[in-house]
Amino acid sequence: PICPNGSDSCQVSLGDLFDRAVKLSHYIHSLSAEMFNEFDERYAQGRGFIAKAINSCHTSTLTTPEDKEQAQQIHHEDLLNVVLSVLRSWNDPLLHLVSEVQRIKEAPDTILWKAMEIEEQNKRLLEGMEKIVGRVHPGDIGNEVYSTWSGLPSLQLADEDSRLFAFYNLLHCLRRDSHKIDNYLKLLKCRLIHDSNC
Amino acid sequence: NGQPPGKPEIIRCRSPEKETFTCWWKPSSDGGLPTNYTLFYKKEREKSYNECPDYKSGGPNSCYFDQKHTSIWTIYNVTVKATNDLGSNTSAPYYVDVAYIVEPDPPVNLTLEWVDQAYAKYLLLNWASPPLADVRSGWLTLEYELRIKPEEGQEWEIIFVGLGTKYQLFSLNSGVKYVVQVRCRTDNGEWSQWSSESYIQLPKEFRLKD
Repeated sequence: PICPNGSDSCQVSLGDLFDRAVKLSHYIHSLSAEMFNEFDERYAQGRGFIAKAINSCHTSTLTTPEDKEQAQQIHHEDLLNVVLSVLRSWNDPLLHLVSEVQRIKEAPDTILWKAMEIEEQNKRLLEGMEKIVGRVHPGDIGNEVYSTWSGLPSLQLADEDSRLFAFYNLLHCLRRDSHKIDNYLKLLKCRLIHDSNC
Repeated sequence: NGQPPGKPEIIRCRSPEKETFTCWWKPSSDGGLPTNYTLFYKKEREKSYNECPDYKSGGPNSCYFDQKHTSIWTIYNVTVKATNDLGSNTSAPYYVDVAYIVEPDPPVNLTLEWVDQAYAKYLLLNWASPPLADVRSGWLTLEYELRIKPEEGQEWEIIFVGLGTKYQLFSLNSGVKYVVQVRCRTDNGEWSQWSSESYIQLPKEFRLKD
């Protein structure tokens, strides 16, 4: 239903909000996975970047569920806040990723387009999540916890190998975190909308 | 006489449901002596290596990680060491994140039903997700693909179904016996094997093809 001026009587249902959020999170993760794979194939083969990428995501300071049991035991409000925190942690790096990707030698347009599209959709997903949180527990837009990112200098290093590793690591972490967000939202949707019976 | 063992190699890791996983290795030469293998792994954010928790459940030359030993979105550094009386040899490290090695089991209970109604005649296909996969809670989201061909035919027609577990097929030829299979994957994983085949003989008298 079209909400002419967002009048209360014509609100989007929580189920629809979750449907949109899950579509977006699925889309963002697909793009992130494609972008990572494309970069990995083109710039990272044989450089052993994965060994250095261990434990180096700026969001690793956030406590997030890492298996099914943890994800199912966490209260839904806390899981919503985890999603918000991870999303917020990516606003800044995604902004810079778009500008810095353009400086990579022969960076294919497909990587640049994906970086721009992800940055745009991440903002939309964050807006959607804030609506969902507002709906699930009114009056609370979720804690403002997020992880700061200080990786811009490494994306601008003169040494190409170091600079490429910095991009690899950022895209590796983006793929991972977008997958977490997608997975958590699908769990939340099943729990809150379908009574854990998807 | 004899020789130290050759360098073994981790060849594959797979998770059927993003809750457990198994890794396999390929032995190299055993140097003519009895050789045993020890698998070590270190998880991201952990300092020390651990030994494989279960060498049996995954079959020969494998290590099985149950739920208690499995973390998602975490890089595992896995190596295997071959040892005999004259020395040992360790594989190169193999890095794996369980989030990206999910290959589900095939779907099950594929049923085919010919529906003959006044306004429409079609083949109704139904199947179920693999039993191990927890799709009900949303932990795993599966998408499906089916393939169909006349039993005597060579060419499969492949149809991407998406998230549903039923499908209506309209454009079939009367009187033909068809064989159908279905498979699934998570939103960014590997396709499962195809399910077992299901067959159906369509009645002769209807005419669908234009």
